[in-house]
Amino acid sequence: MTKILIKSTILLTLIFSPYAANANTIDNLERERAKALNLILDKSISIGDRKSKLEKSKMRLLDLERMTINSKNINKNPSYQTIKAFEKFDLTFLVHSSLEKGKSLSLTWLEKLGLTTENLMSTRVSRK
Amino acid sequence: MKNSNIKLFLIILSVSFYSANSLAQNNVNGWKPQIVEKMYVLPPKHLNKVLNNDFNKSLLAINLQNTDNKIKNRIKKISELNSLLPGSSKEEGLEIQHQIIINKRDYIKDMNDLLIMKKEKLNTKKIFFKKIEKKFKGNSLKNKTTSNFLNNKSSAIKRSQKLDFKILENTSYNLSKRSKYFKQYQINKDAVKKLKLAIEKHPMSNKNILYKDPLNKVEAINNYVHEIDTEIAVLEMKEQMINYMAKIVALDAMSLAEKVAFDDENNNKVVPTNFNDPVNVISVFTN
Repeated sequence: MTKILIKSTILLTLIFSPYAANANTIDNLERERAKALNLILDKSISIGDRKSKLEKSKMRLLDLERMTINSKNINKNPSYQTIKAFEKFDLTFLVHSSLEKGKSLSLTWLEKLGLTTENLMSTRVSRK
Repeated sequence: MKNSNIKLFLIILSVSFYSANSLAQNNVNGWKPQIVEKMYVLPPKHLNKVLNNDFNKSLLAINLQNTDNKIKNRIKKISELNSLLPGSSKEEGLEIQHQIIINKRDYIKDMNDLLIMKKEKLNTKKIFFKKIEKKFKGNSLKNKTTSNFLNNKSSAIKRSQKLDFKILENTSYNLSKRSKYFKQYQINKDAVKKLKLAIEKHPMSNKNILYKDPLNKVEAINNYVHEIDTEIAVLEMKEQMINYMAKIVALDAMSLAEKVAFDDENNNKVVPTNFNDPVNVISVFTN
């Protein structure tokens, strides 16, 4: 049984290794951004935990954002995903945007989606 | 005998002009620029220098040099023969004139070859510059499609650069939390800033406008193509001159042939007597 498990692990690593090697900075940034947003929306963890985890994630996200912004490789034949990422700077480069606005990461993201306190307060519950 | 020699000479002369032209059409000693595509980004002035260096190494350049030397030798020989002409006897004079015509014929042949080689060089250069121009225009078209993306990217870079100081100041990014990339980024950014300043201060930086401005580059290439076109036009005029020279040599050869034929007639002069005329036969009857 263990032999089969080892063999399948090796096989899977061999299959997925080229994809991992091909992953560009935009993909990595998107992955890290998704993790950070997941932490913001996660209700199962305590406020303290969220804060410390978010700090670490923010640091990684900042590095990845810098790498993406300064990457010269993406200039040649940029993919649709890359073009869109740079079109929506505030949503893609969350750490930079939050620093620019002087607001927290979560607040910057929610505001960009249109979920401001003002907007939420002006809504009302109604039956169709 | 001499008459037939001159006729043969004239035939050879005319044939040689035809053969010179046909040889020129099939000139195989060409030049193909061996320039790496990366060189295309060079400013046109430097590109022209690289192109000239490449030409100097080619077989065409060697042939051009050899033909040039041959022409110089021919002119020297013609002037030497011309200087011998005044003090020579009649027979020697004819031989010297014959030699002068032969040398003039060879000179025209070599000059024709030289002009064709020069033309080939200029045409190759023109094709090369046209190719670059086409490539450059194609690239600028391609750039237009990605210009929006590049604009967004450059504004992102600017925004990020403005925030660099803020990030350093921010207490949440304290030293213990800073990653290896974060530290290296700061060091490299400072180094790049210093290098950029040095580039801006460099005296050659302002002179090299062509490299910075793509529109100027296309214009400079166009200027080179224009220069080449004018040089080709001048060569074509020279070709016309060579044609006239050939005509003069052919006329010289014809006059020499006539001169020789006239001399022969004078030397072997036999006056035919017309015995059908009674006036011519009076002596027969009176004596």
